[in-house]
Amino acid sequence: MRSSQKRILTTHVGSLPRPSEMIAANRDRLSSEKNGAEYDKCLAVSVDQIVRKQRDIGIDIPDDGEFGKPMASSYDYGAWWNYAFARMDGFAPADSVPESAHKKSSVAELSLTTFTNRRDWQKFGEFYQDPESTGSLKGSAARRPTRRPVCTGPLKYTGHAAIAADIANLKTAMAAANVEEGFMCSVAPGSFARGEDLHYKTEEEFVFAAADAMREEYKAIVDAGLVLQIDDPSLPDNWDMINPEPPLEEFKKFEQVRIDALNHALRGLPQDRIRYHICWGSWHGPHTTDIPLQNIVDLVLRVTADAYSVEAGNPRHEHEWRVWNEAKLPDGKILIPGVVSHATNIVEHPQLVADRIVRYAKIVGRDNVIAGTDCGLGGRVHPQIAWAKLETLVEGAKLATRELWA
Amino acid sequence: MNRSVDRILTTHVGSLPRPDDLVELYRDDAPDSKLLPRLKSAIADIVRKQHDAGVDVANDGEFGKAMRRAMDFGAWWSYVYDRLGGYELREEQAKKGRAAWTFGSKERKDFAEFYAAEASAAQSSANARQSGTSTARLYGLMCNAPVKYTGHAAIQRDIQNLRAAVGEKRAEDVFMTAVSPATLQILPNEYYKSPEEYTWALAEAIRDEYKAITDAGFILQIDDPALVDIYDWWFSLKGDLAGYRKWAAFQVEAVNHALEGIPEDRVRFHICWGSWHGPHQGDVQLKDVVDLLLKVKAQAYVIEAGNVRHEHEWKVWKDTKLPQGKILIPGVVSHATNVLEHPELVADRLVRFARVVGRENVIAGTDCGLGGRVHRQIAWAKLAALSEGAKLATKELWA
Repeated sequence: MRSSQKRILTTHVGSLPRPSEMIAANRDRLSSEKNGAEYDKCLAVSVDQIVRKQRDIGIDIPDDGEFGKPMASSYDYGAWWNYAFARMDGFAPADSVPESAHKKSSVAELSLTTFTNRRDWQKFGEFYQDPESTGSLKGSAARRPTRRPVCTGPLKYTGHAAIAADIANLKTAMAAANVEEGFMCSVAPGSFARGEDLHYKTEEEFVFAAADAMREEYKAIVDAGLVLQIDDPSLPDNWDMINPEPPLEEFKKFEQVRIDALNHALRGLPQDRIRYHICWGSWHGPHTTDIPLQNIVDLVLRVTADAYSVEAGNPRHEHEWRVWNEAKLPDGKILIPGVVSHATNIVEHPQLVADRIVRYAKIVGRDNVIAGTDCGLGGRVHPQIAWAKLETLVEGAKLATRELWA
Repeated sequence: MNRSVDRILTTHVGSLPRPDDLVELYRDDAPDSKLLPRLKSAIADIVRKQHDAGVDVANDGEFGKAMRRAMDFGAWWSYVYDRLGGYELREEQAKKGRAAWTFGSKERKDFAEFYAAEASAAQSSANARQSGTSTARLYGLMCNAPVKYTGHAAIQRDIQNLRAAVGEKRAEDVFMTAVSPATLQILPNEYYKSPEEYTWALAEAIRDEYKAITDAGFILQIDDPALVDIYDWWFSLKGDLAGYRKWAAFQVEAVNHALEGIPEDRVRFHICWGSWHGPHQGDVQLKDVVDLLLKVKAQAYVIEAGNVRHEHEWKVWKDTKLPQGKILIPGVVSHATNVLEHPELVADRLVRFARVVGRENVIAGTDCGLGGRVHRQIAWAKLAALSEGAKLATKELWA
């Protein structure tokens, strides 16, 4: 994995604004009106352009913008995990399965609640239910909660063709743009297997089955020579989904299973080709019940990855750079803090970006910091804002480089 | 004016969330017989609520300034609609909306698609629709006669309501906001021969309101976002920093003219770069205008510093010395995001300022008024985070 040897490198969390043709193509495909070949071509062309665009503005480690993960409207917060249902056997659409009180055993006596029962949602119910509450930050705070697809049979990965196409598109685009290293996102078992399950006997079985299935996607990405990014917001944000607030130790037991499952899925894969992303959920809410990083940082560091991408560029988590004073980043590992955020339309001043990077570099060493974003920007802010934020990220990394290598 | 003698004091920029029924009374232009009793009781409530939230230097939430929708950004200055003479309402000009005012913004050009999307979303959203907001009432105004302050009764009403609400609270713990001449001169003029003459006349007119507030014993807060955000609106397209500074220097003279005879230690002066939820990439940097700002005859400066465009500017105070006796009220929570500032972040920000200018010279504030700019639940949670953060900072600074 590339690291900041001579200067602060830049990357981001994955999702980038989809071009309108791509959104239209996704809509068409959902209504099955257009043939697959046309869609495939649109995807390949869009990925080619998005890689070039990232290179041109100075993103060192780009991706395919997650364009292979369908987004059928320009504001969409769920493509990063929804895509996996289409690549998996064993799930049925929620409306085809009656609600069930099926309750499984688990090492921790905890269960995840629905979106509207989240603790932050309960505290700020009036806000969350006000359709105007997000103002010009579109989309998710007031979204209508929907049931996720339900697991009704053994999980089996069926997305081989889809991931092969994603990989080919990205590698072709990288070669054309002369990009050395690129990454591709894939969802963590714990973040994916959060829906209802009527098939497996225990929670652990369900999560491990998801791990075995997703391993095929992880392996395909790594085997292709791309850096694999595991997206796992569930590690922090499950905390808010357990109501009432659980004892920390119980929660950690609950999460340890998910980390074990992830490491099981990653077994034997080269650690230095893997980065692990956490954030506290990207909706534009107050986030007052987010679990502090310091309470879970030991769990994060147990993931067999060489780089950790952590939300750190919004006012709920900005102060947490201090956590790395106590929790030592192991030798050879890389931190990718979010230094620009989707939580505000205001574009971060490059000097602020630099200040944030320098703060991290002074603690964990400049070679061990790559500048990143809090979360994917595509589908979460207006495209013009997303690009301006990536530009300020690059500019801020340059300022930080000047300061750190002076 | 109070300062942070043995702990970090807290305040905010002014606007607080209005109760729904008060918004409706304003929206419906309800008769005084209905509006006034509710206004009075709402101000009593809001003062109590600030006390409960741990706000040390409180106000009337700007409730006397008509807010006609739950989300309404412009009440802080559109209230002059009812308090200034010398203007004529022109239907044709009003139809142009915001375009009736001068433009020259690079940001509006660079982010044209974003702003177009905002405008169209605003049209389709009942709550955010431009027409019917308090600001929209200003679009049709044209100055065609000598300007004259006519709000004497209104400001006395606001003062009496606030005095009744604060009861035993010392008047110096209480502030009231009023708009700056620099802001008022945005309204187009065809009566005065030059912009300078127009601004000067506005300064003399609005002085009556300033004086009423300080005569009542309250701290006067002058709201002057125009002093900094006019760079983006008028000068940024040409990158004309020199032209802007010349303009701003005159605005400072004008506001000082308006403040003549008012003791400096009764005045605080607020700047921010405009509260709309845009990229703000075109904002003039504080370092380019801070020397002019410090010429304003106010004891305290209330400055936006809690959002990602201006957070780094605490460093400006390393190079620019805050003059002896002055107070800095940096924004340490912001309306620019729904995400709640963590109290430790609030404390970090305060400590940073305190280490540069001295702890006794810092009061914790907000970037801008929270009312009408974020949901009311968010606004109150942000004030709670502010006071919790101030406590943490106190612990660190007086350890």
